[in-house]
Amino acid sequence: MTAANGESQRAADRIRAFERAVSAEELVAATRQLTDCDDPLATVPQLVQVLGFSNPGAAVAAVDGLIAIGPGAVGPLLAHLDAHNYGARAWAVRALAGIGDPRGLDVLEDALATDVGPSVRRAAARGLGALRLESLAEQEREGIRLRCLEALEAGRGDGEWVVRYAVVVGFEGLALPLPPPHPHRHRAVAGLTQLRQPEQEETLVVRLRSGVALKRLDTP
Amino acid sequence: MAGDGEPISEAEALEQLRQTDDQSSQYYAAWWLGRMRSRHPEAVPLLLAALRQRQPRDVGAGVEHNAVARNAARALGKIADGRAVSELLVVLDDADDGLREAAARSLGELRAPEAVPILTRRLASGPDVAGAHRSDSPRLEEPCEALLEALGTIGEAQTEVLEVIRPFTTHDRPLVRSAACRALLQLTGETVWADELLRLLQHPQLQVRRAALMDLGAVGWRPALEPIQSTFAENSLKLIALRGLVEHGRGSGAGGGADSDDEALLMAMDALL
Repeated sequence: MTAANGESQRAADRIRAFERAVSAEELVAATRQLTDCDDPLATVPQLVQVLGFSNPGAAVAAVDGLIAIGPGAVGPLLAHLDAHNYGARAWAVRALAGIGDPRGLDVLEDALATDVGPSVRRAAARGLGALRLESLAEQEREGIRLRCLEALEAGRGDGEWVVRYAVVVGFEGLALPLPPPHPHRHRAVAGLTQLRQPEQEETLVVRLRSGVALKRLDTP
Repeated sequence: MAGDGEPISEAEALEQLRQTDDQSSQYYAAWWLGRMRSRHPEAVPLLLAALRQRQPRDVGAGVEHNAVARNAARALGKIADGRAVSELLVVLDDADDGLREAAARSLGELRAPEAVPILTRRLASGPDVAGAHRSDSPRLEEPCEALLEALGTIGEAQTEVLEVIRPFTTHDRPLVRSAACRALLQLTGETVWADELLRLLQHPQLQVRRAALMDLGAVGWRPALEPIQSTFAENSLKLIALRGLVEHGRGSGAGGGADSDDEALLMAMDALL
């Protein structure tokens, strides 16, 4: 990449520099530069493309960029979900989990229940507790939260401790914004209570994190 | 359950381990029983039988028998049943260094003090002999990392043990240095060994940074929190290391609640999910 391209803030120049990147290192640098421009939304197609390149450094940068762009990136991410490219799909799940847009719910549910990669299931569990529901009607919010709770409850049986840890964080994130008498808050507390019991949860750090979540929810 | 990679039951695993015609099934069954930490009464006797299936080292001949034995040795460590100790001690002197490596790790997991004299004897010739590069493979004469790690995990801190380990902190392979520092930090608690691990966390090779992460986690060295957060490595490995920092020094039972130091570590873990 030439210095002139590096200095220009125009999206079109950043995209041109990105398309000229040849080596793996150049691609990482060009991906990082992509979103730092006058019109980040214009770079979404390139960022989504990067997820399929088998270049973890560039994919991490693209996921960060997509999360920073937020809801504007969700349509293209969903439209390009590639069932045949496992790596690309895994990175897309991470991006959707980080954005927290309710349109990603189907993908997150499916990933937590069926993905072979613990790091993908872990991102999905975290994301299921962090969906941004403020703009939706109350009834719609209730329906989505219920699906998140069911997915997280099933995730308690995951064989990997780190996924169960993320389930704890998911329960906490889902319950904290709700008023204490809300039934969904009670249900999340019940889920967390189970993950604090040595008889039901073998991993100490998962139990400790559940204890912290219950304390924050004021149910020690 | 997602992520366990198994379509067999415990009964099938035991059956596949019992038969001896199909060694790849035995290999998988031994791994499976260890992965599931099987508590079935037949699991340990069958794994010990599979361990005895090992053959004298014969380069060029099939390694299938010893592949089963190696997985059996690993599974016996995961199941952590004291009945396995005496057989694993014999394997520590086997001619197959892959088997010695698996036995050392398992004896570490079993916290078997009986292993310390053999482990130190195999390392006593130092980095120039036990730690010498082999001409026929990229391996060293002894599986140094596994032997060193086992000594640290077992936790017998006699002067003779420390004197055998110390020269390996200057071995030319960073992974061996990391294992030696980890063991010495576990045995002595001296900061100087942690400092070397923190330096290895900045090593240009990812493989070395990964090993230093695992070693700091195994010791539970809490001052390593920030260096762990900032090193370039996968979040999955950082999470394992931070779990080690949180859990270290606690009983594995009910264990009480998290204090503010614990909470800082847990929040660092949250940020890596």
